[in-house]
Amino acid sequence: MTTRYVGAATTIRAEDVPALYEGAKFYSPAVSPEKTTLLSWTTSLLERNGPVTLVRPDAIAPETRCAAICVIGSGAALADLPPSGDEFALAVRELERLTRRRFEAVYPLAAATVSALAPLAAAAQLDLPLIDADGMGRTFALIHHTAMHLAGVSPTPLVIRGVTGENVAISTPGPARADTLLRSNVDVMGGWAALAAYPTTTGELRRAALTGTVSRLINVGRLLLESGDPDVLVARLAAVTGCRRIGRGRIVELEHLSRPADVTIPAHPSSVVIDEIGGQGRLLRLELRSEVVAVFADGALAAAAPDLICLVDVLHGELSTLDSLEPGDLVDVLVMPADAVWYSAEGLAMVGPASHGIPLPHPRRR
Amino acid sequence: MRPPLAPLELGELLRVEPLALATAVHLPDPARPVHEVVLAQTFDRLHRAAPHSLVVLHDEAATGGWALAAALHAGWERNVSAVVVPEAAMSSSSAVLADRLGIALLVISDEPVDVALTLAGQVSAPQAARALRVALCAERLAGQSSIRGVLGVLNSELAPLPVALVTGETVVAGRAAGAEEKPDGATVRVEINAAGRPWAELVAALPAKSTAAAGHVESVLRLARLPLLAVWAQTRMNSSAQAAQEQAAFGLLRRLATEPAGTGQALLPEVDVPSWTGELGWRVEGRNRAVWISPLQDGDGVPADELTQLVRAAWQRHRPDWPLVADSDGWISWQNIPDSEDAADGDASGAVAMRRALGSVSRAAESHALVLGVGGAHAGVAGLMRSVTEARLAAHVARDTGPGSVQWFDQVGARAALAWLPRRQIAEVADLCLTDLMGARDREALVDTVLAVLDCGGSLSQASARLGVHRNTVLARIARAKELGLVFDDPSWRLALHVLCYSLSSLWVSGRS
Repeated sequence: MTTRYVGAATTIRAEDVPALYEGAKFYSPAVSPEKTTLLSWTTSLLERNGPVTLVRPDAIAPETRCAAICVIGSGAALADLPPSGDEFALAVRELERLTRRRFEAVYPLAAATVSALAPLAAAAQLDLPLIDADGMGRTFALIHHTAMHLAGVSPTPLVIRGVTGENVAISTPGPARADTLLRSNVDVMGGWAALAAYPTTTGELRRAALTGTVSRLINVGRLLLESGDPDVLVARLAAVTGCRRIGRGRIVELEHLSRPADVTIPAHPSSVVIDEIGGQGRLLRLELRSEVVAVFADGALAAAAPDLICLVDVLHGELSTLDSLEPGDLVDVLVMPADAVWYSAEGLAMVGPASHGIPLPHPRRR
Repeated sequence: MRPPLAPLELGELLRVEPLALATAVHLPDPARPVHEVVLAQTFDRLHRAAPHSLVVLHDEAATGGWALAAALHAGWERNVSAVVVPEAAMSSSSAVLADRLGIALLVISDEPVDVALTLAGQVSAPQAARALRVALCAERLAGQSSIRGVLGVLNSELAPLPVALVTGETVVAGRAAGAEEKPDGATVRVEINAAGRPWAELVAALPAKSTAAAGHVESVLRLARLPLLAVWAQTRMNSSAQAAQEQAAFGLLRRLATEPAGTGQALLPEVDVPSWTGELGWRVEGRNRAVWISPLQDGDGVPADELTQLVRAAWQRHRPDWPLVADSDGWISWQNIPDSEDAADGDASGAVAMRRALGSVSRAAESHALVLGVGGAHAGVAGLMRSVTEARLAAHVARDTGPGSVQWFDQVGARAALAWLPRRQIAEVADLCLTDLMGARDREALVDTVLAVLDCGGSLSQASARLGVHRNTVLARIARAKELGLVFDDPSWRLALHVLCYSLSSLWVSGRS
């Protein structure tokens, strides 16, 4: 067994990339990134350029300048329009030009899904350390849904760069406007773009970002790659992530109801009804947007965003993605607490159940 | 009566609009009281709902999916009486959840705000809602044309309380559970009288928690009395089909009583009373005293249909609460005497009632040339059959005394044997053997006199007293009869001549009529 768990400050090598990717998928279980070219490309970058240093923000000089990197847009567009390879590095360079300062480190905007790979690739290309911290600890829908924003760090100036070689720079006093401006530009660029944003210092990140989330991805990813038995998997995940199983049951109904959706996040509300096997035999109802945003057990809100809620296919011992659910599937419903910052009043107002059109008090706040 | 401000129950609200139009997806307890109506637009409002309120969801709280599930849970937490939801928000999993939480879930197609306002009006004025409900119930009852239909309306109106129509101990229609006593509950009974006599009872058994509703239940049951009587009377009026049905039913009853023949006639077999007897308006529990009605003339078996109609009409007029069944050469009716502690007392008062009853029908019987026989009072179905046989014998004897006459079996005794004699054939014998006598002009007086002497065991004085003539007249007539061939001194001839005289005398009696 070559298991090598990542501690506070170490390096990420080419052979760690699959585990990182697996963990990144786990922290955004709703979407299923295709076998992206980003994975093999990042692996080969690390093979060629050597390991990337992973460093905690408090283990580096506080005045170190850094920028957040992520993929903005849709995963489907990323598959249709593969990256040319230099978007992320060039976006950082463009942001340097705008701010007239060199960056000495990069960090992920969201340590989840393909956006966890992009900063690693950029760090390898730019020969910069990767900071073991991010703004979300999972994924949220909008660019200002970050711990940095809650701590008063502005997302702008920011730069996006498309496959077509175009840059767009945005500066705005209102962070919520930044996302709106971004989206229309991303559409024009072909559906996705490389984003460099939140220029700041590691000193600020110590205060404002969520620390240790990158190494967590690798650790979780290793568990997922190793384990096939769902009970063992859930027990191990619980030890690493603090997740718990709400219940195990069979999917009895998929509802696609045209209900009034919330105003901020475009998604079609639908529901999955699970008949719990064993336990109290409850009726579990999962509310789906672009992710599972709430779980009701017999009508009582048992878990809700920003909790990370995911389904494990019991027969196959692997994560179920939302587009693969079928009536009759036997699944475990797992719920994982998000970082504490999201349960503050401001955090809940931004990404809590009410932001998904469920105006109920969050179960962790009752 | 229940207090005027007692809150409405869910079941009551479901019988009047707008909830009468709602679909009850799950209804665990229709007897739950509804204290107020809550129009819940938000979950916040839902979480403040008082127990026993009726929650109508709209807007944000009625978007379906999780919203309905959460509303059901909140309703369950707050112990509300029911959750009312617009059709659009309903889903099959919500029905499952309502069932799981045991909370009433009603689906409406109307605008929830309108529904809530109407409901609030009803809940705040329970008496008005109840009056409306009773009026609707009366309307439905009036539309029924069968006993089963009336009971169906009662049972759906008062659900989940079971209502039964009972005659004696037998459940005639409705739900048998209605006649069962509940441990701590109450029983509401409403007697139904046909022509001033009890015919049946409507019985509803209330569980302990619903005893407050007794007043309302009773008023609904009272409402059903007239429709029930009307339906019953109508079925009795409907003659020919009814006659055939009653005849067949009586035949069936008779077979029930005679089938276990092994037990012997002396021990009357115990026969369970079939429920359909009550539906025909018959009562056979307790003791029965049969009346046999037959035409004076011994016809060729079955009497004419027209005569049956006449008898039925006469019976309907005088004894509407007694059955009338055409049977072979006559008609059967019977008086039912409920079991009382002292059977002898019951029979005595029954006999008095019977005498009074027959007094009123005898005039009609006379005008239709009918005679009546009355049997003894015996218990149960088998007893009825025995009484019928007795009454028939008595009626045969009654033929001797002319139209409209009534004979009681217990006064007839062995004389009944004479009634079965083939009197015509015997009279023919007289024509051949006693030619001289039959040719005499005073033959009737002669035969009557000889018969009286024989009846009185040869005592001339007794015979003269019975005939109302002088002893010498008797003596002279006997001498003349002997001259004409009617010699009864020889003991071996005496019985035959006695029977001959009896036959001739009784034939001439009917002939004179």
